[in-house]
Amino acid sequence: MNVIECAGLVKTFGTIRALDGLDMTVARGEVHGFLGPNGAGKSTTMRVLLGLLKADGGTVRLFGSDPWHDAVALHRRLAYVPGDVELWPKLTGGEAIDVFARLRGGVNRRKRDELCERFDLDPTKKARTYSKGNRQKVALIAALASDVELLLLDEPTAGLDPLMELVFQQAIREARDTGTTVLLSSHILAQVEVLADRISIVRQGRIVESGSLRELRHMTRITVEAEVTGSPERLAAMPGVHDLRQTDGQVRFEVDGSRVGDVLRELAGLGVRSIVAHPPTLEQLLMSHYGDDLSARGATTGVK
Amino acid sequence: MPATVGDRTATRHSAPSGSRTATLTLARFLLRQDRVKLPAWIVGLGLLVVYIGAALPELAPSEQDLAAAVPLLEQPVGRMFAGPAFGLDAPTYERFFAAGYLLYLFLLAALMNIMLVVRHTRLEEQTGRAELIRANVVGRDAPLTAALLVAVLADIAAAIVVTALAVGNGFALTGSLLVGAATGATGLAFAGVTAVTVQLSESSRTAAGWAGVVVGVAFALRGLGDMAEVGGSALSWTSPFGWASQTAPYVHDRWWPLLLLLGLGIVGALLGFVLQNKRDLGAGLISARRGAATASRFLGTPLGLAWRLQRGGLAGWAASIVALGCVDGAFADVIVESAADLPEAVRQMFGAEQLLTGYLAFLAIFGGYLTAAYVVFAAQVLRAEETSGRAGALLATPVSRSAWAGSHLLVIGFGAAVILLLTGVGTGAAVAGSLGDWQTFGDVVASHLNMIPAVLLVLGLCAALYGWVPGWLPAIGWAVVALAVFVGNFADLLDLPEWVRALSPLSHPADMPVESFDVLPALWLAVLALAGAGIGLAGLRQRQIGVR
Repeated sequence: MNVIECAGLVKTFGTIRALDGLDMTVARGEVHGFLGPNGAGKSTTMRVLLGLLKADGGTVRLFGSDPWHDAVALHRRLAYVPGDVELWPKLTGGEAIDVFARLRGGVNRRKRDELCERFDLDPTKKARTYSKGNRQKVALIAALASDVELLLLDEPTAGLDPLMELVFQQAIREARDTGTTVLLSSHILAQVEVLADRISIVRQGRIVESGSLRELRHMTRITVEAEVTGSPERLAAMPGVHDLRQTDGQVRFEVDGSRVGDVLRELAGLGVRSIVAHPPTLEQLLMSHYGDDLSARGATTGVK
Repeated sequence: MPATVGDRTATRHSAPSGSRTATLTLARFLLRQDRVKLPAWIVGLGLLVVYIGAALPELAPSEQDLAAAVPLLEQPVGRMFAGPAFGLDAPTYERFFAAGYLLYLFLLAALMNIMLVVRHTRLEEQTGRAELIRANVVGRDAPLTAALLVAVLADIAAAIVVTALAVGNGFALTGSLLVGAATGATGLAFAGVTAVTVQLSESSRTAAGWAGVVVGVAFALRGLGDMAEVGGSALSWTSPFGWASQTAPYVHDRWWPLLLLLGLGIVGALLGFVLQNKRDLGAGLISARRGAATASRFLGTPLGLAWRLQRGGLAGWAASIVALGCVDGAFADVIVESAADLPEAVRQMFGAEQLLTGYLAFLAIFGGYLTAAYVVFAAQVLRAEETSGRAGALLATPVSRSAWAGSHLLVIGFGAAVILLLTGVGTGAAVAGSLGDWQTFGDVVASHLNMIPAVLLVLGLCAALYGWVPGWLPAIGWAVVALAVFVGNFADLLDLPEWVRALSPLSHPADMPVESFDVLPALWLAVLALAGAGIGLAGLRQRQIGVR
């Protein structure tokens, strides 16, 4: 059963189309990575899922109901961590954690104290003295200490240091092990790569790719670097081979996922001395969808 | 090292590097940001001058009419809210203008400067924008200097506009120049005061609140001083508003009290710079303490959280309003004694008995104005919670919008009722102490409680605004308070039409203790207040959260 189902979701702000027919499903118990650059529509999607914004078109279902109409009932089953956490300056971090957790239906004191310990947060300090990272810890601890079925995390670790990032990853794994569904929006690709079972890539308010990392990799090219004794002329002419470059017996090219077998057979006949092949990184996946944007921007800002 | 790099370093170093670097650039930037706000304030000041100038000959076409209106301003309550009433033994339109309305020009100028300085200093620091600015080639003192510079420009512009329009009314040139200069100088004095208050707290609202307390205290001191005697007493001279009124335009035309105002502005600005250099960017002088590691059980409910977020503001407002009521109440004997000094004709209109009950009625409605101001102030918390994103995070928990906003409304309504009760008790006790007679105590308490439904209607209105057009809440909310004060003080003086009076929620309750309690308006006001809250919550349920 799917926890989140969005179909053809449209949300406009004035003339700006923040969501432009967004389709996404998140199955129960999975950690779903939600990837995209700033302004792609990640936060807008989160806020529609929370029923804070009303979609202008399409359908959205959370646990099978409409978040705009059943917000309060649905919120009993989820916890949300915004990307930009604002707290009440006069409350301490500990008080803020308890406020959120209690409003969600009660605080598990042992778990809360353990999380404060793990995230190295001093709960007696007033929120106005906290850094961005510490404010984020407050929201994360409040969410993780609540007994909920769904975590909506909107770039939850943007202010955390690498050590805390590891603590966060561990905590998310533990949550998944107890059957919690997680929607994790991020542009920290390594984090999503490590944690996510499935990934949706959003661009300009639409999902452009969705699937497991393995499925996505099938759709894109593998990079091969090899040292060969023979001439790679014939290789360059093969279908599915791109961007072949050679220097002093070194050859480097990209090959479509579906053609890897053919190309490797051809390569074997060239006397391979060493070979490195790697699947596309998430960076490459994203770049294949945003590359045109970047090159367009490079043309105007790259020249100094 | 290549020559070009050396040259560049040299150029950089030759640029000014003092603590006020980039002040002028910043000042131009501030003027650009305020290109609508400041002209609007100054036009507002000008309109008041033009309106009064046009209204007076309409209201009092002849000298006799004018002389008949003099007691309104010259009796103690009139002096308390309008100023020392110079030269009314020979009233002219310009003297009537100065005696009746000048104080409000000064008040508006003070508010304009407080908001201007807070907006461009503490608010910038609180939002973190100041950090972005200060990371550039900008001196430490440049933002405050630029804000004060803009304040000076705004005050000069206000002085010129007010002077020109007063002359345009046909008022004497010297007096009009003095009116303009006093308006500008009062503004400058409060720009200086605000330069200090913005250093104290990390929150821009608290900084504005402290400056507001100074305005309130200054207004009250001058009010009591002017109430004691025609032309003011020694107490009048303890207040910046007193200094500005003591210029006595069109009568004595004194220029030197302006020096006191300018002096306050300069001392305040200098103190502001000294304090600013003792603190970190974004920090207040009052440092943060540690607090509880866990929340109390009550805090984890919508009502408990609303109470926690509202209680500081409530305590501050309640203390100020109650204190003001007590001080005003303590002057009851002055009112009774002044009846003896009144001319025979006036005494028939305002006998000792009537003067006292009139004064007590005035104190009750005065408490009503201030409590209504508290309500509007406190209702802004809802909006601040939403624009900061905290409301979004809260509403992502299983708390309904009605429960969240309703909790705040409940706390504010309860707070307003408590303020009026305490003010009534405090004022009543002070009146009794001053007269040595507890006969009026019950009347004073009842007349304050009589204001509760009207004040709650202001809250209902704020709720409706917040639910449907949250962006308009500050402007319309404060306008309603201003309208209530205006109607309460000037309705008779300016002979305002009935529908304008009806617009003020505070004009509807019975004028206790002059009149006896009337249940009908109280009931209607309460019903409308509830309707406003209901409409507001309905609006909040159907609109989106956090969309500007």
